Amino acid sequence: MHAGFMMEEASERVVGGLMLILGLTGLLLASGALDNAIYIFGLSLAAFAVVFELGLIRSHYDRKDRMARARAGFDV
Amino acid sequence: MSDIAMAPIQAASPRTRAVVYNDDVIRKFTIATMFWAAVAMLVGVVLAAQLCWPAVNLGFSFTNFGRLRPVHTSAAIFAFGGSALFATSFYIVQRTCRARLWGGTALHNFIFWGYQFFIVMAALSYVMGYSRGQEYSEPEWHLTLFLVIIWVAYAIVYIATVLVREEPHIYVSNWFYMAFIVTVAVLVLGNNAAVPLSMYSAKGYTAYAGVTNALIQWWYGHNAVGFFLTAAFLGMMYYFIPKQAGRPVYSYRLSVVHFWSLVFMYIWAGPHHLHYTSLPDWTQTLGMVFSIMLWMPSWGGMINGLMTLSGAWDKLRTDPGLRFSVTAVGFYGMSTFEGPVMSIRSVNALAHYTDWVVGHVHSGALGWVAFISFGAMYYLVPILWNRKSMYSHTLMAWHYWIATLGIVLYITALWVAGIMQGLMWRAYDSFGFLQYAFSDSVNAVHPYYVIRFLGGALFLTGTLIMIFNLLMTVYSPQTAPKTQRQSAVAAE
Amino acid sequence: MLFKQATIEKNAILMVVLTLVAISIGGIVEIIPTFTNETTIEKVKGVRPYAPLELAGRDIYVREGCYTCHSQQIRALKDEVERYGHYSLAAESMYDHPFQWGSKRIGPDLARVGGKYSNDWHYAHLDHPQALVPESLMPRYAFLGQTPLDTRLIERKLRVSRIVGVPYTDAQIANAKADLLVQADAAGDNDALLKSYPKAVQASGKAGEPTEMDALVAYLQVLGTMADFGSIEPAKMRR
Repeated sequence: MHAGFMMEEASERVVGGLMLILGLTGLLLASGALDNAIYIFGLSLAAFAVVFELGLIRSHYDRKDRMARARAGFDV
Repeated sequence: MSDIAMAPIQAASPRTRAVVYNDDVIRKFTIATMFWAAVAMLVGVVLAAQLCWPAVNLGFSFTNFGRLRPVHTSAAIFAFGGSALFATSFYIVQRTCRARLWGGTALHNFIFWGYQFFIVMAALSYVMGYSRGQEYSEPEWHLTLFLVIIWVAYAIVYIATVLVREEPHIYVSNWFYMAFIVTVAVLVLGNNAAVPLSMYSAKGYTAYAGVTNALIQWWYGHNAVGFFLTAAFLGMMYYFIPKQAGRPVYSYRLSVVHFWSLVFMYIWAGPHHLHYTSLPDWTQTLGMVFSIMLWMPSWGGMINGLMTLSGAWDKLRTDPGLRFSVTAVGFYGMSTFEGPVMSIRSVNALAHYTDWVVGHVHSGALGWVAFISFGAMYYLVPILWNRKSMYSHTLMAWHYWIATLGIVLYITALWVAGIMQGLMWRAYDSFGFLQYAFSDSVNAVHPYYVIRFLGGALFLTGTLIMIFNLLMTVYSPQTAPKTQRQSAVAAE
Repeated sequence: MLFKQATIEKNAILMVVLTLVAISIGGIVEIIPTFTNETTIEKVKGVRPYAPLELAGRDIYVREGCYTCHSQQIRALKDEVERYGHYSLAAESMYDHPFQWGSKRIGPDLARVGGKYSNDWHYAHLDHPQALVPESLMPRYAFLGQTPLDTRLIERKLRVSRIVGVPYTDAQIANAKADLLVQADAAGDNDALLKSYPKAVQASGKAGEPTEMDALVAYLQVLGTMADFGSIEPAKMRR
């Protein structure tokens, strides 16, 4: 495994974990919100985290796909 | 898209050791820069109209001047300026260090989307009426905390890229960008200290009160100018002007001296925003003295930028992008001369609280920050999207002249308005009474406010021309290089 | 040699550390001394924490961004003192979180606007500024009069203020809501309120239904009126 590839993998895990925490924090804030600002911020943060995680999953499998095709000798 | 996916594959192949830069995140920040430039300037024009014709406020809470003004300042400084800095710093650090941006694509995308999320949430919170009530530092505690996460990620990515560089020396642009990153972190953490009413409430009370709060605010505020809007954009200047002119930086020694003196002196200058107030006199004097001394390192940067063109001045005729960058340095020199003059107590007695200050800020923000960014954008977009040139040099020239005219109208109108306000407020009649009521000064500046509005509208027009030109550069088939069309298509 | 540029510019960490040192010196020299309040803030009698309604009004002042057009800092200059009143003292904003000195006068300074106009003038002016001052550039704030004041968090506001250094007493915190309602009510019985918060000005609201405008007017009416200038000796003022 090459260093660049490991970096991509590690980056996805760390950022994925961070977004998970942020998303849950957003839900927590929205659940107890005393004002509109926190309510909207919390919900938006949770939504942002979900979309971002979906993006991470997509790019992760896209990359895996391309690696497999490259190994099989296809031109990328 | 493709360079991310191809990075490990290409690097793994023993035939090539070329570094594959992450340009994807730079492209994203470039698009954001153009978008926020239009938003910031549009809101600015609306505010200028509100000051000419109060009915434009519409009477809704969320359209009133007081709530929109932070949207304008934040959008201009942090959204437009910030996105331009992210784009250029990521571009420059990879090229000058000959290293791929450290940290993996996911982290870079987190920085991009996280920062955009922060901007949108901050703007939304201002119009909803949540503000810390301190200029350029309006986001409440929860947004500050979120920004800190983004900023830490940015600092890690940037400094780590410098650490893994293949070049032995760190290029001068990176000194300025690193100083900007760490200093802005210190400033925001210091200034935004607050106690929230509750974890579930956006409202909080600042940790400091009165005099201390004022001093810390202007320590922050002036160094937001010093490090966000000056140091970082000098980093931009030190890369793009030599590139556009095809000449090396004029003086290495000058860049060393003016970097360290700028970094050391800027931090002292804040109290010049508080002359003749309840702040202790010695602090005001110290702030004034350092503000005047600051003139020298500022002009050191200007000289280094302008003299880099010696032997290449003819390029100004053929490269409108370079014209933006060079004019920016000219405006930088002008506003860093005006600033020290305004920081002298007796001048400040007249200028403070007037529109002269607003004019001064805009000669820096439009003339320096925006122009140097436009120069960089015109240079970057054809490279990042692999086009052979800009779509239209004529439109670039139009943008240049319209924007320059806009700035000239803007700042001269506010010079007149500001000095007039200052003189009217202190005028005495022959009986020794104050000659004018405050409302007289409001009436008197109305024509100049209209001229300012026109100047701002012209500048916005120029920006829209730029956006059109950049879009056409990316989309028009006529700018696609013939030989590289295949790879350009593959890269989409 | 650690401080040679040739060394520094090959070592990113060293460069960051030295930059941090360079930016710390100025901040430390200027900011730290202001925390020693004995020399920074004069001793003046009369300056007190804001009454609950005033504090709520102040939060509205911050929320609407009034500081973007109005300063609250009269400089020690002859014309300013004649136009607006005694120059601002450090003590007068010592309970202000955040400070609202401002940096621009699109409208006049408000540091001593308290008591200059009647309540009625303020209500009418906020409702439609141009009706009273034709030249005015101020937006209309009619919506404040139609928005009920959110009083849910008032006790907490006082308590958090105490955490950041405003000397509210336990009794003041416990009575926050009641004090607020009394001050907002035009016909409220304010004897107790004035003992707790001298010079507090009654707003002209309806009993039990305070609006945001009531709060803002109560705040504006106390601005600059607290300090007892009889208690200042010129010798002490010279810092």
